Amino acid sequence: MRLAPVPATILFASAGVAALVAERILPLAVLAAVLLAVCLRAPTRQKGPYVLGALLAGLGVFLISPLVAQVGYDVLWEGGPRIPVIGRLDITTEELADAALNGLRLTAVGLAFAAYALRVDHDRLLAAVGFAPRSALAVALATRLVPTLERDAAGLAEAMRGRGVPIAGARGYARLLSPLVAGSLERGMNLAEAMEARGFGGGRRTHAPGPTWTAADRLALTASALLLMAGVLWL
Amino acid sequence: MALGRVDGLTFSYPGAKAPAVADVSFTLEPGDVVALLGPSGSGKSTVLRALAGLVPHFHGGRFAGRVEICGADTRRTRPAELAGRVATVFQDPEDQVVMARAANEVAFGPENLGVAPGQIWPRVDAALAAVDATHLRDRLTTELSGGELQRICLAAALALEPELLLLDEPTSQLDPAAAERFLSVVERLGATVVLCEQRVERALEIATRVLYVEGGRLLLDAPAAEAEEWLRGNRPRYAPGGEPEALPQRPVGEPVVRLTDVSFAYRPGVPVLDGVDLTISRGEIVALEGENGSGKTTLAKVAAGLLEAQAGGIEQRGRAGYLLQDPGRYLVAETALAEAALAVGGDEAPARAALAAVDLTRLADRHPRDLSSGERERLGVAAVAVAEPDLLVLDEPTRGLDPDRKTALSDWLVEYAAAGRGVIVATHDRRLPAHRRIRLGGEVLVAA
Repeated sequence: MRLAPVPATILFASAGVAALVAERILPLAVLAAVLLAVCLRAPTRQKGPYVLGALLAGLGVFLISPLVAQVGYDVLWEGGPRIPVIGRLDITTEELADAALNGLRLTAVGLAFAAYALRVDHDRLLAAVGFAPRSALAVALATRLVPTLERDAAGLAEAMRGRGVPIAGARGYARLLSPLVAGSLERGMNLAEAMEARGFGGGRRTHAPGPTWTAADRLALTASALLLMAGVLWL
Repeated sequence: MALGRVDGLTFSYPGAKAPAVADVSFTLEPGDVVALLGPSGSGKSTVLRALAGLVPHFHGGRFAGRVEICGADTRRTRPAELAGRVATVFQDPEDQVVMARAANEVAFGPENLGVAPGQIWPRVDAALAAVDATHLRDRLTTELSGGELQRICLAAALALEPELLLLDEPTSQLDPAAAERFLSVVERLGATVVLCEQRVERALEIATRVLYVEGGRLLLDAPAAEAEEWLRGNRPRYAPGGEPEALPQRPVGEPVVRLTDVSFAYRPGVPVLDGVDLTISRGEIVALEGENGSGKTTLAKVAAGLLEAQAGGIEQRGRAGYLLQDPGRYLVAETALAEAALAVGGDEAPARAALAAVDLTRLADRHPRDLSSGERERLGVAAVAVAEPDLLVLDEPTRGLDPDRKTALSDWLVEYAAAGRGVIVATHDRRLPAHRRIRLGGEVLVAA
């Protein structure tokens, strides 16, 4: 099932907001699991970093926050070292519950963003916004810039290794910064030329029509409203 | 009536001492498929840019003469206004993609032209179908291979429904089979086409006319059959000919690298190399051939030690050097000399010798990014070869090289190997000399 960009964005944003305001672990876990499934089914190879980033951030909060929090009376473990400002390290049941809630919350919010990044057609979303078309185009180009820079940086490092020139430490990588920027500027000039040759800036633009909203899109909007209400009232 | 008319075109880029093209005149008739041939830096791309109006509007410089396309004088008509009648596919697809998804990329041009919204998707679908890229419609452009991206760029040009299609080395990233498919699509279009191409034979197969440019001057404007005769007599390296014979076998030296039962996969369960055995000896040039995605680059990188095999044994004797595809992108120093000296700890003597070997001595003090694309490619070769690695691995080194430069590179490779070093060349180009040719098929190496 593929949603139109606007309903999909609203749905994922609602899921993120619901995750932020939810106060119970089980509904949050269900929400995170559903978002994880949505991300994993994305037809792209780039899902790994997004999904891993969201899961690791949540796991980090779950592991660290009980150690640094000072909440609750039901002590499960004590006797850790005394840390300045924080006091003696210990773990209570309440701290674990809070850590699980916050970890899940962060994971769910991260996954909602990942779902937006992986499943929404950003070109069409920006076109659907309908105003500031040049700014929208700048955003579209910036979106492409990150993976392109990544690829160029990897290529530069590999080219150096291929010549037997070691790239190590901050100084070694700093040497690649200037050619990376120069390469981007050169690419920008070539792109500007190609855009002009394809009629950009020649007159009034039109937009290809976005996909017609289906029952699934309307359902997504309804689900968005319900998610927000549920988040505020019950979760 | 002629579709295009170029009359006495002379153009110099800003700051250039000599004109890039001088006194060039020709006409384009509807339905012509024109092969625009000539050495690197001879002015071919400038002629294409003049036909698109990008010269002088985008580049500035000094312009004389007259270029008229579909009745519009390019001095008074901006490139964006010509876009509905003229479409250009540039050399590097990476540098012309704007949108994140393939279909949106193809729609970008018609949207710029103000095509009625209801007609845009039908145009997009027709253009994608024309280049056999319907299956790429919803893919992210950042995830497409160079060949796939090149087809999307052609579809983006076709979606403009141009009367004149300008193609600047459009098959540079394609394997021979894909290049043939691409050019047969171009042949079927029925539009007037001007095609710059270094793979001369393929261009001549579909061309109805040939223009040959050298030193900025048009030396030949003739129908294809007549042009072939002229090329044979005057520029034989540009004339169609058979594949070169294999190099005579030399006494085999000691191995510089031995791969035994090597396997490699980028993703679990999808092997690119599976149980590969390969030995490269001193004095030997081995060509790795195969379609895009067949694993040539992967095998070359494993042999050079840039990728670590997941199974099998690799025995390396001596140093390996590796030249990436498109090395002109990966230059880091402030001068050509400093670039060549990087791999020898800044020692200028071997760097100057390496520059001389690729005919770049006079450009030693120039910034690498001020060099032409062909000069950058040669600087890339010098920057790797300067350290005289025992095993030299080159990935598609002839991409974008004209036939003269290709011959020079071939001669240099033969000399390099004859000095007792091993050479691996991953290439689509069967004109490069080799003692052995190993074909990789599908995703797994076919027995050598």
